[in-house]
Amino acid sequence: MNSSKNATVAKIRAVYGKRLREKDYNELFTKKKVTDAAEFLKRNTHFSSVLSGVDTTTIHRGHLESILNKAYFDEYERLCRFQQLSEQPFFNFLLVRSEIRELLKAILYLNNERSDAYIQSMHAFMIEKARFDMIELAKAEDFNGLLKVIRNTPYYYVLRSIRTDKDGNIPYTQCEILLRTFYLEWMLETIRIHFDKKTTDVLSEQINVQADIINIINGYRMKKYFNGDAQSLKEHSLPFHGRLSKEKQDEVFEADSPADYIRRLSKTVYGRLMENLDENMEGDQFEKELEKLRCSIAKRALQFSENAAVSLYSYMYLAEVEIKNIITVIESIRYGKNIQYMKNLVVQT
Amino acid sequence: MSIEKMEYLSIVGLMDDLDETLKKCVESGCFHINEISDEQDSMVRVDGENPYKPLLKRIVSMNMGADFEFKELPAEQITHLTPDDIEQDVSLLESKLRVLSDEIENLSGAISERKRAAIQLSHLKGMKNDLQKLFTCTHIEPRFGRMPVESFQKLSYYEDKPFIFIPYDDDGNYKWGIYFAPLENIREVNNIFKSLYFEKIWLPDFITDTPEEECEKLKNHIDTLEKRLDEKQSEYNILVAENKQVINSSFCRIKYLYDLYELRRYALCYKDKFYLSGYVPKKQYNEFLNLAEAVPSVSIVSKPAENDSQTKVPVKLKTNRFAKPFSMFVEMYGLPSYGGFNPTNLVAWTYTLMFGIMFGDLGQGLLISLIGFIVYKKSGNLLGAILQRVGISSAVFGLVYGSVFGFEHLLDPLYHAIGLKHKPIEIMDSTMTILLGAICIGVAIILISITINIFISFRQRNYTEAIFGNNGISGLVLFGSLLAGVAVMMTGGESLFTMPYVICLIIIPLLLMFFREPLGAVLSGKKYRPEGGIGDFIASNFFEVFEFILGYATNTLSFVRIGGFIFSHAGMMSVVMLLSESVSAGVSPVVIVIGNLFVMGMEGLIVGIQVLRLEFYEVFSRFYDGDGVAFEPVRINYQPDID
Repeated sequence: MNSSKNATVAKIRAVYGKRLREKDYNELFTKKKVTDAAEFLKRNTHFSSVLSGVDTTTIHRGHLESILNKAYFDEYERLCRFQQLSEQPFFNFLLVRSEIRELLKAILYLNNERSDAYIQSMHAFMIEKARFDMIELAKAEDFNGLLKVIRNTPYYYVLRSIRTDKDGNIPYTQCEILLRTFYLEWMLETIRIHFDKKTTDVLSEQINVQADIINIINGYRMKKYFNGDAQSLKEHSLPFHGRLSKEKQDEVFEADSPADYIRRLSKTVYGRLMENLDENMEGDQFEKELEKLRCSIAKRALQFSENAAVSLYSYMYLAEVEIKNIITVIESIRYGKNIQYMKNLVVQT
Repeated sequence: MSIEKMEYLSIVGLMDDLDETLKKCVESGCFHINEISDEQDSMVRVDGENPYKPLLKRIVSMNMGADFEFKELPAEQITHLTPDDIEQDVSLLESKLRVLSDEIENLSGAISERKRAAIQLSHLKGMKNDLQKLFTCTHIEPRFGRMPVESFQKLSYYEDKPFIFIPYDDDGNYKWGIYFAPLENIREVNNIFKSLYFEKIWLPDFITDTPEEECEKLKNHIDTLEKRLDEKQSEYNILVAENKQVINSSFCRIKYLYDLYELRRYALCYKDKFYLSGYVPKKQYNEFLNLAEAVPSVSIVSKPAENDSQTKVPVKLKTNRFAKPFSMFVEMYGLPSYGGFNPTNLVAWTYTLMFGIMFGDLGQGLLISLIGFIVYKKSGNLLGAILQRVGISSAVFGLVYGSVFGFEHLLDPLYHAIGLKHKPIEIMDSTMTILLGAICIGVAIILISITINIFISFRQRNYTEAIFGNNGISGLVLFGSLLAGVAVMMTGGESLFTMPYVICLIIIPLLLMFFREPLGAVLSGKKYRPEGGIGDFIASNFFEVFEFILGYATNTLSFVRIGGFIFSHAGMMSVVMLLSESVSAGVSPVVIVIGNLFVMGMEGLIVGIQVLRLEFYEVFSRFYDGDGVAFEPVRINYQPDID
């Protein structure tokens, strides 16, 4: 990566500077209707341009969410286009991740025999972007149909070994692990080939931390909601390790209870980095703390890195959290949740 | 020390007279009320829901137009208004406004509905069929509306469903169109479109003709409705205009009563008596007593503020006319504590002096002063008053540098007339003199600051800081002797750094600073034990003393910027002059004017900030804490804020 990409770094920092601040969220929390929240976003935030042509007085929650998701992807494309970054394979990372997300969603709905529900939840902007036919994906009636749609993509080779059970159910968790593993491996490999050592180190660190956090969250969920044993937690974890070595991770997985899980985690590097770790905390709060940690790593990378790849990767993560925050608030408003509830779920970026 | 002397007052009276007492406190304009932190003994806080809150809320939330603002009225104009009368007036006006605003809302709704229908119809222009024929279909149902462009892409998924969607417009965000579905499937199709965020648009059932004809009809109808809306809007505006004064007086009266009631929470109550405490400036004490005498049951006990140890005494700065505007800078940093040192005069003189030196130009200085005068007169902004003063200083130093709007020889005849051969200081030829002069100014300011700190520390009986601190006597001796030694060396004199000089004036002060904590403990008769052990004590004090020495050097050199800006100003003006010479004679004055304005704007701002930086970092940091509490007399806030 040469220094000419400094303009992208500067641009990303400028874009990041327009993020929603605490006072914006506080204002958003006070809205009583989704339309009021939409109007606030339109008038006072960096989403004003994407919402300018939209009538916020009649907007549906789902439509607002789809606009925000599209805005997120458009921003990514705009930043990549700025200095023709998309010519390098790594900069397709969000496209690959979005495709995988759509595939997993389609599998989930296939298992529930609700393809109509999938077409509704599908991100429509992906229809033009994805490297497979999304409408055909929605029409697929079984796993073979799905494989046919993705025949010419790398995902086919990832998923072709999967076998459905006698009722035609697809093992979702297995698909998820395989696709996520593919994604992370693809990224690490692409980074290794195309970037210098310093960039490779920084990006690999972020990716491995991301894998660690996914494993920690998945393990916690399995422990809390399915009372999973150490073996099943290990089987369902991603084969990557960042700051949490395999041995340390195994120690955490061997916990007897969710409280013990947090207690063991608190003795690891992540436990020391997390601000408010308490073994009696709620699941939501635990995940929020991990999200906060991941955000602080991304923020630091964004602030100190002079590299476009590191900056873009970090920024897209923070922007994704911001979109998630807004969607959380919108849904909370829709279902009449109180301000404290929303505050507990929002992670400042 | 230039801080108003305060009297601490305890006020006791009958509960029935509490409101009257609070009224007098507000009227006095000089009573700073104390927040009562906890209920004491058997005394309880006077509490209760403010009875004026609902009415005040109603008044504040009345829509009196965007240009309406509540304004304070003299007390005699509003005291005759009773809350009951106000309540009646407000209710009457509310009901009148409600009727009108309902009508306006209905009309606006009808207009926007018809406008949406007109937009829908405008998209259908060219369709030759009567719309009535569409609406009278018996087997299929039409639905008009729009859907997000992204949703339109999903339609191909439903190609086997029994409907047809005909888009007839695309505005970038939405596809406008109509879908048809058989009656027996309409519910299923409606659900599909609903999931695609299709927004149905209402077409009035009176529509019977072709779209063109209906568009025309709708347009006429909208015009009629808009006329009616205008009429109602003007009726509303007239009603609002007629009642603006009434509402403002009602607001002022109720806000007065509301704020007065809010002040009750500062009082404690025991049986039928109340207790209040606060501060009054000593010179207004008698005035306050005279006012309070009007309340018969009230008795006041006073004592000098410094004798009250329970609360932080509020601070009111006492300044002369020249220094008054500079209190803005002091307040920006934080007020001094009561009994502390008010640095406003020091800031006023040093700021004015340094600004003048750094930005010396007779013409620009006078212009800045004039601008400051206008700004201050027009808006009362204290920055304007500061500009007035620093502008004059700049003009005085402009006379010394011989510079008028960048013209370096315009004042030569003046110098010749008073017997000088040339200007007193030729900036570009006096580099070393100016830089050394800047350092001398810095040294003087630092020595003054250290002396002030010694004085304050002795007053506060902080002997450790006064004697052994880096800004105490030890620091003063060390800094002074180092400077004297260096100065003598530079002037070519015999070196002062002899053994006795070094031991007595450098090493001993250094040792005193190093052991300042144990020595301070000895002075105050306390035992001293280093917190982290001897090793930690030595390491931390070594680095601290090292930092002190480094600090003396860097802080002194920091004042070199004074000289730097003198050159910068002269340099920038010479660029302006060069530019003006490089253009034609006609354009030259324009270049000079724009150049002067640019230099004044940019450099003036930078110099202003740099001097402030010197004040805050090099002066204030030596003796000033800024942890005082501002003296804020109780008053009525005529802003529409309700807690």
